[in-house]
Amino acid sequence: MGPLSRAWAWLRRNALNIYAGLAIAYMLIPIVVIAVFSFGKTPKGKLTFGLNDGFTTEYWANIFKIEQLNDALITSLELAALATVIATAIGTAMAIALVRYQFRARRAANLLIVIPMATPEVVMGASLLSMFLVYSLVLGFTTLLIAHVMFCISFVVVVVRSRLIGFDRNLEEAAADLGASPFTTFRTVTFPLLAPGVIAAAMLAFALSIDDFVISNFNSGATVTFPLYVYGVSLRGIPVQVNAIATLLFVVAILAAAAVILQQRRAERMAQAAPEKEPIPVGTAITQ
Amino acid sequence: MGRGARRGRPLGKTAIALAATLALALLGAACGTTGGGNAGEITTAEGGEVTGDLTISNWPGYIDPGEDGEEGTIAEFEKKAGVKVKYIEDVNDNAAFFGKMQPLLEQGESGGRSIFVVTDWMAKQMYDNGYLQEIDHEDLPEVFANMLPSLQSPSFDPERSFSVPWQSGMGGIWVDTSKAPEIESVNDLFDPKYKGKVVFLEELRETVPLLLMAEGIDPAEASNDDWLSAIEKIGDAADSGQIRAFTGNEYTEDLTAGNVVAAIGWSGDASLIENENAEWRMPAEGCTLWSDNMVIPVGAPNTAAALGFMDFVYQPEVAVNITEWVEYISPVEGVRELAEANGSEIAESELAFPSEEFTADCSTQDSPPEIEPVEEAWQEVITG
Amino acid sequence: MSLRQRLVPYFLLGPGLLWLVLFFVLPMFFMGELALNSGTVETGYTFNWAWSNFGDSLSGHTEQIFRSIYYAGVATLLCLLIGYPLAYAIAFKAQRYRLLLLFAVIAPFFTTYLIRTIAWKTILSDESPVVSVLQTLSLLPPEGRLLATPSAVIAGLTYNFLPFMILPLYASLERLDGRLIEAAKDLYASSTQAFLRVTLPLTMPGIVAGVLLTFIPAIGDYVNAQLLGGTGTAMIGNVIQSLYLKQRNYPEAAALSFLMMALILIVVMVYIRLAGTGAFMGDEDEEES
Repeated sequence: MGPLSRAWAWLRRNALNIYAGLAIAYMLIPIVVIAVFSFGKTPKGKLTFGLNDGFTTEYWANIFKIEQLNDALITSLELAALATVIATAIGTAMAIALVRYQFRARRAANLLIVIPMATPEVVMGASLLSMFLVYSLVLGFTTLLIAHVMFCISFVVVVVRSRLIGFDRNLEEAAADLGASPFTTFRTVTFPLLAPGVIAAAMLAFALSIDDFVISNFNSGATVTFPLYVYGVSLRGIPVQVNAIATLLFVVAILAAAAVILQQRRAERMAQAAPEKEPIPVGTAITQ
Repeated sequence: MGRGARRGRPLGKTAIALAATLALALLGAACGTTGGGNAGEITTAEGGEVTGDLTISNWPGYIDPGEDGEEGTIAEFEKKAGVKVKYIEDVNDNAAFFGKMQPLLEQGESGGRSIFVVTDWMAKQMYDNGYLQEIDHEDLPEVFANMLPSLQSPSFDPERSFSVPWQSGMGGIWVDTSKAPEIESVNDLFDPKYKGKVVFLEELRETVPLLLMAEGIDPAEASNDDWLSAIEKIGDAADSGQIRAFTGNEYTEDLTAGNVVAAIGWSGDASLIENENAEWRMPAEGCTLWSDNMVIPVGAPNTAAALGFMDFVYQPEVAVNITEWVEYISPVEGVRELAEANGSEIAESELAFPSEEFTADCSTQDSPPEIEPVEEAWQEVITG
Repeated sequence: MSLRQRLVPYFLLGPGLLWLVLFFVLPMFFMGELALNSGTVETGYTFNWAWSNFGDSLSGHTEQIFRSIYYAGVATLLCLLIGYPLAYAIAFKAQRYRLLLLFAVIAPFFTTYLIRTIAWKTILSDESPVVSVLQTLSLLPPEGRLLATPSAVIAGLTYNFLPFMILPLYASLERLDGRLIEAAKDLYASSTQAFLRVTLPLTMPGIVAGVLLTFIPAIGDYVNAQLLGGTGTAMIGNVIQSLYLKQRNYPEAAALSFLMMALILIVVMVYIRLAGTGAFMGDEDEEES
């Protein structure tokens, strides 16, 4: 067997892995580009699509030096935090109702939860704007909050629901048998078991909200969120700090997600109730 | 506890209840009408003591930010006047900015802003819709003492009763001299050898007048058909791939990245283009001339501070700082002399201080006789 | 069950359903209503059953509609071609790296959509290494380019919506019982046959869910066409966006969005009829499907 045919055989054997590796690389390339360019030196502090001037940590050192960028980021963080709290509370309640109770409007409720996930953002943004125009609502932070909660709810329901379905009700019944009140049962048994799902849902809601451009663009009025700011500067020279902040957000998000997953794993290992199950990362929970 | 199966059950009562609610809401909505300007009386912005907070919406890169330890104009104003300024660069496109603000303005709200900076025709459109406040010349002594005579009575606002020029500029051709040194006329942009390497502005009032001039038609004399045939020519060039894209400000990015050899663009954008070979050229047939204006929207808080800011930037010693940084045409008299005294190169620039001969062929006409059909045809081309 | 207990689910569902009705369903009705208005921003709008808006919005934009279907369709197909092997590898080959790889798949979600699209603009720009490599390999003519072409828009769509394809595929592959494939092979099926006869049919629900979850957002997208496209690449989302936010031709904009929503609703409802809400809700064995 010649080296060529051996190489060919190896290639055939590993074709799937190579293909998957390339696909993963494809997914990560832009992220690497964003991070690398946040260190690229440029004459005027604006991204120049080249790395001819060498590298610098200057923009990281001055990451919060651009006032408009900070304002936009703070607006986005506030908006995402509020939207997350509201959507998670509402969505968790809905998920509990859907999994735990039997009621008549179930099918309609399911439909109402699913359809927003299958609606293009541009339609959601446009229809909300249509309504706000008719009601003469002043566009701004409030209308953004309404919109963000709206598009987060469905995702929260789905994530929490998937957690609830694989849930051992015997634990709760045991608690009740031992004389715990329904409230105590919820506090000491249900909630701790539910918590990882709720946290995953909240993280997903936060990520969706802080990333939203299309719906926000329709309903922001004079309010500028981080993605809207980025869009504005993308037309006239992006300050390098934007890339630095994007990288920072990325790292924080990854760390947070990793922390949740590790915590979840540890909890499950300690519970030892069942053979170890794969924990659900934030994003995959959408579809699992 | 089982989750009951209700296979194929119609939505039933819930759906009917839902539909009823919606029908009621729809009925309620149908009674009112939406939109429609000229709602209120036009008021005059109130002058008075300059203090408090001030929010300004301007185009990006349109004021000196203060560099190398020196304070920018905003910081200087804050210090001198004791006003806290929030300066937002969110005007990227007149129509898009208006589209965002219009629903607010319709409610008599300005999104907290007290000054917008918009181009002549947009200022006029806002005024005609009843979205602007008038200004009292007595509140603006510096402005009217120092404004260039040529700017004092434009056709859209002969008395300068609602607009104060911020900067003026010219629309022409940006050329990457290392790649297409011979482009001198708008007609050259249609040369097949630059196929896919030129971008046009999506601003109707910029691109089409330049085309008209290139065809030897004075935009001020042009008929609607002239406008439409110019648009058709642009449409054909877009379909054939000659024109790479229609852009807003982002043509500067394309020049920086080396994606294009030439672009229709604005005279003062050198500071935004990171390409030493990029050069703005006066088209052989002439350029467009326009001004961006400070206006005070309805519902603007603290108009006194807004007027105070306008007056502040009309002091030549302030205006010269802005000019040295943004490189557009200052509306303030005496800036050139100050720039010369400072020894700054800009004093020699025909782009910042154009002579009358330089702009002899240029046109200030930005709108066709009938805007609607033209606008519609134009939008069809740019979202084609 | 006591009355109180029977009301509990409604209390739990109430706030959420109310929110969705008020801010999702109701706006659709207002959009429908606006679509039947006539007038302009300057003169105000009046409701007069102006059905012609629907016809106008369709006839004026057929090109963009077909283009959107084409771009989103190609992007979805590419997502499937890239995503299926990747999901398969993660599910069956990755072993202890599985979690890490899943993380890599959802990593793009952790950076701002706009910023990663702008990054692609950088990567694909005319003087970038990618373009020169392709030109050297003669995969691109010497004067050819990527940016501001339909290919760039489709590539952007593919990239941005790929995770929506991979995740449902992975979910359905992971659920697949490996013993079935073993059994097929025991019965002398080749790998290809085993894949075509067993794996593919069993993961079909995941494929359909992935296709829907990719195609729907892709067809309504305008950011990719805006940032990566050029002349002649505008999608229906760009038109809606421009009609609403620039031309302020609200009735026609509303008519167009309404038609788009109707089209998608039909597709989704047909799908739900056939397969239930499971694929969207995260489980395929929902009883009511």
